Amino acid sequence: MSQYVMHHITPESPLWPERMAPLPGMPRELYYIGSLPEEHTPTIGIIGSRLCSSYGHRTAEEFARAFASRGVQTISGMAVGIDGYAQEATLQAGGKSFAVLGSGADVCYPPGNGRLYDELCLRGGVISELKPGTPPRGPNFASRNRIISALSDILLVVEAKMKSGTNITVEFALSQGKTVYAVPGRVGDHLSDGCNYLISQGAGIAFSPEAVLSELGLVSSFSFGRETKAAEAGRRKKDRDLAADQAISPEERDICRGLSFEDPLPPDALARSLSLPVSRVLAALTDLVLRGYAEEPVRGLYIRKRR
Amino acid sequence: MYSLIHSAVIRGLEVLPVNVETDVTDGLPQFIIVGYVSAQVREAEDRIRTAFRNSGITLPVKRVTINMSPADIPKSGSFYDLPIALSLLASTGQIPGNALDQVMAVGELSLNGSVNSVNGILPITAAALSAGFRTVIVPAGNLAEAGSVRGISAVGVSDLQEAVAYLRHGTLPLSADPVSGSEDKSSAAEDFADLRGQESARRAAEIAVCGFHNLLLAGPPGSGKTMLARRVPGILPSLSEQESLEISTIYSIAGLLDPLHPLMTDRPFRSPHHTISPQALAGGGRIPRPGEITLAHRGVLFLDEFPEFGRRALEILRQPLEDREITISRAAGRFRFPANFLLLAAMNRCPCGMFPDSRCSCSARDIAAYSAKISKPLMDRIDLYIECPPVSYQDLLSDGKKSETSAEIRARVETVRSIQEKRFLDTPFHFNSEIPAGSIREFCVLDTEAEARLAGCYEHFRLSARSCHRLLKTARTIADMDGSEIIRRSHIDEALIYRIPDLPGRGPGILLKA
Repeated sequence: MSQYVMHHITPESPLWPERMAPLPGMPRELYYIGSLPEEHTPTIGIIGSRLCSSYGHRTAEEFARAFASRGVQTISGMAVGIDGYAQEATLQAGGKSFAVLGSGADVCYPPGNGRLYDELCLRGGVISELKPGTPPRGPNFASRNRIISALSDILLVVEAKMKSGTNITVEFALSQGKTVYAVPGRVGDHLSDGCNYLISQGAGIAFSPEAVLSELGLVSSFSFGRETKAAEAGRRKKDRDLAADQAISPEERDICRGLSFEDPLPPDALARSLSLPVSRVLAALTDLVLRGYAEEPVRGLYIRKRR
Repeated sequence: MYSLIHSAVIRGLEVLPVNVETDVTDGLPQFIIVGYVSAQVREAEDRIRTAFRNSGITLPVKRVTINMSPADIPKSGSFYDLPIALSLLASTGQIPGNALDQVMAVGELSLNGSVNSVNGILPITAAALSAGFRTVIVPAGNLAEAGSVRGISAVGVSDLQEAVAYLRHGTLPLSADPVSGSEDKSSAAEDFADLRGQESARRAAEIAVCGFHNLLLAGPPGSGKTMLARRVPGILPSLSEQESLEISTIYSIAGLLDPLHPLMTDRPFRSPHHTISPQALAGGGRIPRPGEITLAHRGVLFLDEFPEFGRRALEILRQPLEDREITISRAAGRFRFPANFLLLAAMNRCPCGMFPDSRCSCSARDIAAYSAKISKPLMDRIDLYIECPPVSYQDLLSDGKKSETSAEIRARVETVRSIQEKRFLDTPFHFNSEIPAGSIREFCVLDTEAEARLAGCYEHFRLSARSCHRLLKTARTIADMDGSEIIRRSHIDEALIYRIPDLPGRGPGILLKA
């Protein structure tokens, strides 16, 4: 049972979202915990696949943080993967985020996102058209997507396969007259096929958060390569921090520098390239993770932390 | 005329003496066996009648009553043929009654009078010794097994005539030759030197074997998980005499002892297929017999394709993993079997096996459901978890740099074992993994830096009390391998690498870019 206060509104209510009012096929009632998205604050829906790559994970977080810092609120489905990462990052950066669920607003699904659910209830909102207590069911997830797109000014697809649930949301967004942006991916990477296809069909290219923000008139100018430069600067700073950190032994420093900022590496490969016993590499990696220089995005694989 | 001989009954792994009494009187010719006996025991009548005739012994036409006491313990098995036959011969005066004093006999009769081998000779002989018997008469095929118990004379008989000759005149058919249990460790044909790459998995396996910690290997097909597991027997620490006797007793009752080398010198390695029934894994039957977990006692139980095992079979492992024994209750009574084994398990991370590679074709739900087949309580009982990444081409064909051999690893394992032997001299346990929660702080002493790290990581990795204890025990073993009595920060750090992950389903999953 949820310990939060549940609100109930109908289209007659003064609180009924203005964004939904003119659209056809909208629900006749909404239940929500926390608050509804603010009417006159720019809103971006961030969606993507549940199984994502560490590139998708990172991009979702970076974009969400950049949006939050410009006062943009985000909307998503609180799912595992891109949805959850984007919403978590928005809240962490002090922004507001809203989840539209495929179950009753008082039912946390997936259960693994309990922490995020609580944060959203307190610092954003959890919305559903379904009666409180409704269990999560497949068809409900497809139809809740029309509310995600309806409440957004722009829909951003971070990472999606060719056949993906995000297509449903994109269809809704286009029929509702919303702008769709997609984060480009590498050619031949099927986790990004869906995004690249959307771009080929005329979706906006989200090569940086600013590219999306400029659509909303929130940034006047942006340049190609700015992201890359900022990332490079971030890496250099992280490297200076590493060099200056007294708690890190020279061996650990070598191990950290043996890691890549881009591609996760297994400890075995690291031990081989540095000709160190694997036990020392394993111990050093835990230390580097705990001190904030490395991350373990997937179990057993390590990457250098960028910020 | 009345006569008495002793035999034994096996209850679980416990052996109790049984009196076989025979009374032959005038009356209608009858052959009655009483004393809570099973059909197998009742069949003795026909085997004995025929064996007697074919051995040239006449059975008088009289009323024969045989009682097995204590009469409240169920008796089954075919090894009562010989004691019943000998008791009957004593009643009819064909062997002197006092010849059976302090003699215990077991054996199955063939129709031609020969005595066939039976199971459980080792614990029966040991029980006979502790009950103060002078002699055991056993089938000749079991002589080596009976002879491995010192302090009691074992007589191996190959047929009824030999048994009669021994009891009449004391002529020994064959002398019991106690087989020396010490033989060279049979060098396993599969050597760690053949395994390419997988440095961290090798390391985890060495830690697991050194401290007898449970280990779960995860990774895509073909990464070498099974290959590594099959090489684990070659690096297991040697058995102490007491351990060897314990295992041999279990194998004797299960009928799995090598008749020529009755004392087991190698730790068992059991790898049941994933279709195994819960009863076969845990032990079962009307009168329960040891299951795979008991046959793996003091050795390794390897469960390949861990999530493919039946849920009921897997969940049965919970209690033995904690208590290191299993209690089975049946109508016939309660039976306790030891089950102190090293659980070695291997699994893929998803039904197609490729996760977290982007070639994985499973949905998030499939992946979550696959790992959810192993319950959290069971996962919590595993000390070490390691990912086996796909082997790189460089590793596969690296001819220049040879991998370490099993012999080299085993030498280190023995060193760590002797450290633990000294540490646990006054305690009932042998390995670090057996340290009870109450004694963890006594045996796992941390320096200040390690204490600080433990406090720091408890929150960061969301450890539970149980996982924290497991972490300390693993760190204890890593410190022992490092030759350090104090657990340092680096030992804690390495132990943390092997912590049980939040598998997808309990947390989000990330795929790797191709």
